[in-house]
Amino acid sequence: MSSTAADALDAHRNHDDHGPAKGIGRWLFTTNHKDIGTLYLIFSLVMFFAGGAMALVIRSELMNPGLQFVHPEFFNQMTTMHALIMVFGAVMPAFVGLANWMIPMMIGAPDMALPRMNNWSFWILPVAFGLLASTLLMPGGAPASGWTMYPPLVLQTGDAFPFLIFSVHLMGLSSIMGAINIIVTILNMRAPDMWLLKMPMFVWTWLITAYLLIAVMPVLAGAVTMLLTDQFFGTSFFLAAGGGDPVMFQHIFWFFGHPEVYIMILPAFGVVSEIIPTFSRKPLFGHDSMVYAASCIAFLSFIVWAHHMFTVGMPLSGQLFFMFATMLIAVPTGVKIFNWVATMWRGAMTFETPMLFSLAFVFLFTIGGFSGLMLAIAPADIQYHDTYFVVAHFHYVLVPGSIFAIMAAAYFWLPKWTGYMYNEAAGKLHFWSSTIFVNLTFFPMHFLGLAGMPRRIPDYSTQFADFNWMASIGAIGFGLSQLIFVYVLLTAKKGAKATDRVWEAPRGLEWTVPSPAPYHTFTTPPKARVEQESFK
Amino acid sequence: MTSSDTEQRRNIRRTALIMTGIAVAFYLGFILMGVLRS
Repeated sequence: MSSTAADALDAHRNHDDHGPAKGIGRWLFTTNHKDIGTLYLIFSLVMFFAGGAMALVIRSELMNPGLQFVHPEFFNQMTTMHALIMVFGAVMPAFVGLANWMIPMMIGAPDMALPRMNNWSFWILPVAFGLLASTLLMPGGAPASGWTMYPPLVLQTGDAFPFLIFSVHLMGLSSIMGAINIIVTILNMRAPDMWLLKMPMFVWTWLITAYLLIAVMPVLAGAVTMLLTDQFFGTSFFLAAGGGDPVMFQHIFWFFGHPEVYIMILPAFGVVSEIIPTFSRKPLFGHDSMVYAASCIAFLSFIVWAHHMFTVGMPLSGQLFFMFATMLIAVPTGVKIFNWVATMWRGAMTFETPMLFSLAFVFLFTIGGFSGLMLAIAPADIQYHDTYFVVAHFHYVLVPGSIFAIMAAAYFWLPKWTGYMYNEAAGKLHFWSSTIFVNLTFFPMHFLGLAGMPRRIPDYSTQFADFNWMASIGAIGFGLSQLIFVYVLLTAKKGAKATDRVWEAPRGLEWTVPSPAPYHTFTTPPKARVEQESFK
Repeated sequence: MTSSDTEQRRNIRRTALIMTGIAVAFYLGFILMGVLRS
């Protein structure tokens, strides 16, 4: 049995067949990092559309004041499922898919270090989301207590509750196994001469993200295990009636939840740090400072969790600590923004689709960062808390932040994956329509929140009608825009043949292999190429 | 199989076990904290 990449390589050398297996078995039993990366990316796209459909149910209901299409109970199920699916089913698996495809090629490794575990990491996910989706058909419906699963509300979930808990456990297990694989691969399978600070930023940000995952996903698993025992085994971890403390759940959840935000954004930083230098035709400005900034962000993410809980109540000293610690994150984030701008400074820039998505990322993610700074101010947060201002903030971070970076990565590496150039005109149309509609959807939410509209409600006062109508039109437009992306994918092999380097000035080992990348790459370590392809 | 292959295999297994240990410690540690507080 081959449990490590070296074992798998030995087994591979002993076979005559050097291509992929045929039929469904290829995808069920594959241990190839490119196949598993593809599976993750397809799964993520399906989840993106499933979660997006739920978002459209939410926005349709909110298009006008009054109850329109769905019962309030179902509305709550939609907000909960939308969040769980988008966070754990769309954004995280998309970045894991990109990591699977690109990290071994970027570091000159033949595959991931633990290829069989890699297969398991992926195939756990459809089971987890199958369980979660099945709750929509149960009496009482799907979980409706929000993705934060706060007790005691979540304990009223009904038949869906154990499915929710088991599903979250499986998602966590998948993430932890994926993270272990990434760390082990990066630390042990780099090409000779590729010392750590020579690694591309995408690899670096993923290494840091993987450490975050290993530290916080077990914390979420612990929290939901305690919820399970409170519900079924007579414990009172979070039940006040039995001497427990519901606020403790919030502390534990956000100890996971805040680093989770950075799990979804650090790989996006890595993607943008690959793309901007390529289309500016300059090396990344301040590579090492980018690494240190990402490490600082990761460290700070562990000591800011209670800024999600200012309204729950805490000592003034606690409020001050969490407020200032949160604001401190703006410093390393500012370093990154500065470095991206400095990379572009006097560069010979061109604006292909990956670059457009990356530029929009830098600009729009910064808006999300600034509204985050506003929310970090404890006395102001007491006004903003649980309003649409918060919804606007985190959607600016996650949609034109994480999702735009995923789109940028898909366009950037698609020719390397397929061997053909995608339809650039369709890509640009996708970019412009997405950018216009994403702002139309989420920017008015700032005003709604500042005017006091609470989140997670299916009905609202008529004073909020105009901005809600605009947001709903934007959401429908954004959803339809993603069909252009599907068109680009379906026609991905109809363009011109891609060269090995694909773009004019890419750097990195992944551009030294043919396009499409062969099924097996770097079976011999690419020692001689490391220096000339180095990002430094 | 060369000695460097063997060495790499040993390193891979060691790193994977350390990471698994950290994950298990966080999982059990937070549950233990809940037990001690409740």
